[in-house]
Amino acid sequence: MSSRAFDKGLARCFSCGKLCQLSVQQQASCCPRCDSPVSFRQSASLSYSWALTLAALALLVPANMLPILTVVSFGQGDPDTIMSGVIKLWDAELQAIAAVVFIASVAVPVAKLVVMLLLMLVVQLKLPLSKEQCTLLYRFIHFIGRWSMLDLFMISILVTVVHMGNIANVESGPAALAFGAVVVLTMLAADYFDPRLLWDLEHE
Amino acid sequence: MTDALSPHRESLLACPDCDLLLRVDAVPLDRECHCPRCDALVQDGGHYAIDLHLAAAFSGLVLFVPAVTAPVLRFTMVGQWGSNSLLGGVWHLWTQGEQILSLLVLLCSVVAPFFHLLLSFGIALTLRLSRLPNNFPAWLKWHRHMQGWSMLEVYTLGIIVAYVKMLDDGDVFVGSGTYCVAGVLLCLIICNQCFREDVAWRQWEQRK
Repeated sequence: MSSRAFDKGLARCFSCGKLCQLSVQQQASCCPRCDSPVSFRQSASLSYSWALTLAALALLVPANMLPILTVVSFGQGDPDTIMSGVIKLWDAELQAIAAVVFIASVAVPVAKLVVMLLLMLVVQLKLPLSKEQCTLLYRFIHFIGRWSMLDLFMISILVTVVHMGNIANVESGPAALAFGAVVVLTMLAADYFDPRLLWDLEHE
Repeated sequence: MTDALSPHRESLLACPDCDLLLRVDAVPLDRECHCPRCDALVQDGGHYAIDLHLAAAFSGLVLFVPAVTAPVLRFTMVGQWGSNSLLGGVWHLWTQGEQILSLLVLLCSVVAPFFHLLLSFGIALTLRLSRLPNNFPAWLKWHRHMQGWSMLEVYTLGIIVAYVKMLDDGDVFVGSGTYCVAGVLLCLIICNQCFREDVAWRQWEQRK
């Protein structure tokens, strides 16, 4: 069996990547190169990830049920939720844009939460899943996470540009804040999750 | 084990994703190397083009002020018109009562890209002159945080989506801000492509 840095009493610094000698009793110390705290694993990684993921999961409900954007032109217009906005774009023959918005605002947040729950369950319940594939999933959600901000940037552009009193007006709705919180919380959850916990299962 | 603590070349590295201990003393410093078990990038490849990094960071900083203040999109409809800039969008959200949201947009589209460029410039300049300041490790740590929250590429896609959405209702014009944002984005990509954090850390360690 290949050996871990942990078995040799070496811990990789989170900030600069230097290997630091730690005794198993010591658990934490400072990196000699960059003076950051060093420990074998991200401390309380699972607790933080669970808390942030569950909070994001709860906020996903208002983010999708409440109106996110209201377009009023000549006094007419209804509030749109994320999904009804996508459907309107699709009906307006803008399928490509509808697909982009759907992926960024619906598919990515849901996929991130499902993957986070799966990874945490693997570590918590010691499920015998392929560690290579779990690591791939982890890298995937790290990579796609930021693209969910697309909807919020688009809202910030639209509310500013289309601001013409009675003729046309775009206003953001309460779902925008909930959606922003979902994006930030899932990004933090992915940051706190330590993928080495998955590989530790192979050494037990 | 004493080799691992030698200042010039680490003979051992740990994989950041699976903690596998790797012996790397036979691997040249500019060879890209991946973890044999989980395929994580353990060592970046290629030469650190420090002059290119410095030039890209400087150009990005020069373009930054027009990029956040110049109009990005202009929209006209029955004689009325409106436009937006990066900072204008943040300010408008703030006045609409969405303060938290506006701070989030401010962080991701203005503050993080700016400090990412500024720290890139500082890091490349001090490495170039071989005069590393005492808080160089803090610069490198903040550089990495800012890199994570800088989302100008997502903002650019947001501009495109907003543009297409408004096409139906009136005339939309691309403003000079969009070209500056594109320029800043290009500079950020070049900075990310040529920066090698491990080289910077080794320089810091050797200097001590």
